[in-house]
Amino acid sequence: MFSIIAVDISGRHKIKDGYYMVCAAVALEVSASHIESISQTAIKPFLSPGPPDVLAIVNIIEATVSEIESSGPIIVEKGDLYNRPEWISKKMFSRDMKYQESLSERLAIEFAHHISLSSRKLLMKELDIE
Amino acid sequence: MKKVILVQRNEPGSDNGVNEGKLAELKELARAAHYQVVGVLTQTRYPDRKYQVGRGKVDELAVFVEVSGADKVIFNHQLSTTQIYNISETCKCEVIDRFNLILEIFASRATTRRAKLQVELARLQYELPKARSIVSLLKKDERPGFMGLGGYEDSYEQDVKKRIVRIRNEIHSSCKSSESLRSFRHERGFSLVALAGYTNAGKSTLFQSLVKEGTEVEDMLFTTLSPTTRSLSINQRRVLLTDTVGFIEDLPHWMVDAFRSTLDEIFLADVILLVVDMSDPVEVIRQKLVVSHDIFWKRIEGVEIVTVLNKVDMVEPDDLKRKVDEISYLAPHPVLISASSGDGFEALVDKIYENLPQWDRSRIALDMSEESLSMVSWLYDEGIVHSIDYGEQIVLDIEAREEILQKVSKFNIDDHRVLS
Ligand SMILES: Nc1nc2c(ncn2[C@@H]2O[C@H](COP(=O)(O)OP(=O)(O)O)[C@@H](O)[C@H]2O)c(=O)[nH]1
Ligand SMILES: [Mg+2]
Repeated sequence: MFSIIAVDISGRHKIKDGYYMVCAAVALEVSASHIESISQTAIKPFLSPGPPDVLAIVNIIEATVSEIESSGPIIVEKGDLYNRPEWISKKMFSRDMKYQESLSERLAIEFAHHISLSSRKLLMKELDIE
Repeated sequence: MKKVILVQRNEPGSDNGVNEGKLAELKELARAAHYQVVGVLTQTRYPDRKYQVGRGKVDELAVFVEVSGADKVIFNHQLSTTQIYNISETCKCEVIDRFNLILEIFASRATTRRAKLQVELARLQYELPKARSIVSLLKKDERPGFMGLGGYEDSYEQDVKKRIVRIRNEIHSSCKSSESLRSFRHERGFSLVALAGYTNAGKSTLFQSLVKEGTEVEDMLFTTLSPTTRSLSINQRRVLLTDTVGFIEDLPHWMVDAFRSTLDEIFLADVILLVVDMSDPVEVIRQKLVVSHDIFWKRIEGVEIVTVLNKVDMVEPDDLKRKVDEISYLAPHPVLISASSGDGFEALVDKIYENLPQWDRSRIALDMSEESLSMVSWLYDEGIVHSIDYGEQIVLDIEAREEILQKVSKFNIDDHRVLS
């Protein structure tokens, strides 16, 4: 069993006056192929006037993950970090991170994606945008 | 068995180990296509436009073909139409390349209708750019009759294009057929187990050993199906074990679809045995596992994977432990074996059994009648009959999948339900 923290960011496109993003982080226990349990989730909204660069993305992820109590590497989709090689991305984070590899890590990212997507929808509805 | 000679041209300055690896894979592929390799020729030089290797090497090849009685020559490169034509004229035998070989393997292993269509599609896509040049090549050689054909050049290419469109449509409408093969097999009380993994991992060796060890279930319907599928009994559960071509490195993009569809057997299984060669360097093992997960992603649902860590006899215990630790996050249900020595088979069989689709147990009582007797024989086919008592009634202790138990649930005598 392995502890991981899967993250995903929704809303990386411009709406009206800026970028309304939501980052979701999910702490899970996984085997190589299955999700065994979910211990915590954290959601954080971010508003940025311009398109986020890779450092902004790193900050968004770290800010969201800081609310998670469990340890374990952060699992990020390569595309979320503009397809930078993994070893370069690793250097930008203050804690252990990697791109998703196993089926369970992919499932975890998918799960985080649904959370960030639906919470962003809710946020946009509350703010009366879109 | 047809005899073949393999030819590989190495780039000047390229890595020796890499070149040897490529040649080893070609040998494996030739073996998988049931060829007997009677010789190997290699040459280090830049590609020749007319012959791929040097003219002198082709003359040498021609002599080699004649003395060895080879039926075919297989090049480990994509060959142009001109090259195929020139080499086969010199060697007086059929010349194919690595991709034709892979297509041959796919074609012989494709069992579902969809897989067959997809292989045909890949073949046509491979032929398309050649369709034009074949005609002009023959014209250039001034073969009699060709000049008079007029529009042949266009129409040949058009013909290939039309067939591509037709097959695409057919594939689209036949997506469901492989699903029905699966449910048909399930209806006969079988669970499906398929071997996956890269070339040379030991899939076929494991297949043969498991078939030899296990008590084979006699079932004409399946033993005649294909040489790569066998029925076995695993702790009384009936299982169809299928060997597959597996994963091949460096597939060109136009072949990927054909490749994926021959993997239907894997995606439609209940349990996948993902065979890993533990004698590979750990970084290679990791890479291959990552690609395997990528291939499985979104294509298997509810399918359990048993990771078969093979060739443990070739690795030092300390080294083995370090490798296992490093890849465990990519290895579902791992089990260490040696397919050639049979080490670890007991644990493997248990692992397979544990991961088969869940069957439930139930006790039923049937009134004595002709109808009941045919139901009993149906239950023997569909599940496991743990006990049967013929008294006033026929009382059975059976184990089967849920649909079956559902059908006989009104005869259930478990717990508080009393005989009527
Ligand atoms: N030492 C050793 N060699 C093995 C073992 N299993 C398979 N091999 C060898 O590995 C090579 C490839 O095996 P094969 O079953 O054809 O692999 P496939 O391509 O996955 O079907 C053959 O030369 C086998 O004899 C094993 O457990 N130990
Ligand atoms: Mg094989």
